[in-house]
Amino acid sequence: MKEVMLDCFGEACPVPLVKAQNKIKELEIGDVLIVQIDHSCAMKNVPEWARKDGYNVEVEEVDDGEWEVIIEKTK
Amino acid sequence: MAEQTKAASSRRSSANRKPKKNQIPYGVLTVVLIALVGLWLNTKSPTIAFFWLTGNVFGVILQKGRFCFTASMRDPYLTGGTSLTRAVIIALAVTTIGFTAIKYGYANVGLPIPGMSYVAPISLATVLGGIIFGIGMVIAGGCASGTLMRVGEGFVMNTIAFFFFMMGSLWGAHDFGWWMENFISKGPRVFLPDIFGWFGAVALQMLVLVALYIFAEKYEQKRGASH
Amino acid sequence: MADDKKKFFDRVKSNEYYVRWGKNAFPYVTAALLLSLFQIVTLAVTGNPWGVSGTFAYWGAWIFKAVGGSVDKWYYFASTGAQATLEKGILNHPESWRNIGIITGALAATLIASGFKIKKIKSKKQVVAAVIGGLMMGYGARLALGCNIGAFYSGISSLALSGWVFAVSLFIGAIIGSKLLVKYFM
Repeated sequence: MKEVMLDCFGEACPVPLVKAQNKIKELEIGDVLIVQIDHSCAMKNVPEWARKDGYNVEVEEVDDGEWEVIIEKTK
Repeated sequence: MAEQTKAASSRRSSANRKPKKNQIPYGVLTVVLIALVGLWLNTKSPTIAFFWLTGNVFGVILQKGRFCFTASMRDPYLTGGTSLTRAVIIALAVTTIGFTAIKYGYANVGLPIPGMSYVAPISLATVLGGIIFGIGMVIAGGCASGTLMRVGEGFVMNTIAFFFFMMGSLWGAHDFGWWMENFISKGPRVFLPDIFGWFGAVALQMLVLVALYIFAEKYEQKRGASH
Repeated sequence: MADDKKKFFDRVKSNEYYVRWGKNAFPYVTAALLLSLFQIVTLAVTGNPWGVSGTFAYWGAWIFKAVGGSVDKWYYFASTGAQATLEKGILNHPESWRNIGIITGALAATLIASGFKIKKIKSKKQVVAAVIGGLMMGYGARLALGCNIGAFYSGISSLALSGWVFAVSLFIGAIIGSKLLVKYFM
């Protein structure tokens, strides 16, 4: 049960998504991945991918134009 | 347990959060300025005012929709997602119907068909240009419309790409004579209704688009299942 | 008074229509339909579909002229139409205003959503990627006589075979670009 931060501030599409996809593979079931993004398109495609893969997803707007996508690896 | 972890993470991030600024007033101000510029342009030329208005509308749609032509081409290969690809296919289908209605309307009364300069000659330059453009848009993180949209969103990277897009265009324009002489001028302009008739061309294009849509969806399901 | 205004905009933030239309992103398909609508409007009103990158060549030329260069002898700008456009300048060029409009429209939408942020450069790699990518897009768009909008979106929608040829090439380029991106720019 650990929490991993993935800093993707300033990264353009598709880097945040690819990084998140790679990172989640390294995690154990039950771990939580927090992807920090400020790219509006990644704000859409990262949660979309995670939901489709069946993980629990929460998006939080931490500041103007900054989001944290909280992904729980459920399987 | 999982719920606890999530709650914990929310608490942690909200603890060190600074209060959010409300940017809506600046947004309203920007809209007012856009409208004022539009009114000023309208006194110069209604045509220019119309282009200004539609440009802003396109910008809003692209931004609100996170509409990215680059992702529609790149994601099927890179991430296996095709939701944007399918949206682009829908845009192509709907626009085709509208465009053809306008074009057919002109042709039917014997007027010159509008927009025929977009039926470009097909040559090696089309293929090479497409490949070069395709590589460029993926590396730069945005196509022509996407780059402009992201300049508006505040991306420094896309602003640099935007400047070099102009420089690349200038370079391309510099070499254009050579490409024109050796390739472009020899390429045929193929307008599909000339071959298949108006109805045939639209029907064929719709069939291809529907097939691509279904293929894209099946492909995404298959890719999704494999990992 | 200033306080009232602040409260007003804070109330707006929780208004359900604001959240739906001003804050949240549109579904992709909604955007696709809206783009189609305004593409059709553009062809009906101006007699030409939407294009973006042709204008960038003019902007490049104006910059080049501003720093003392001359494009008068270039084949690309040799036509009387192109010469007239260059002569009249950016303020009288409708397509330039449309491109600037895309920037300001996106800016307005981002601000209304209260999501604007200057996204700074994170690494040197990004600069290299932006320079190379930008140059390639510019050059490629001139060869193909258009970009993802003019040659691809407007081309295919105009029932032009060139649009389909460009689409396939674009797709191949995107795959090559993805490989390069993952290998060198990530």
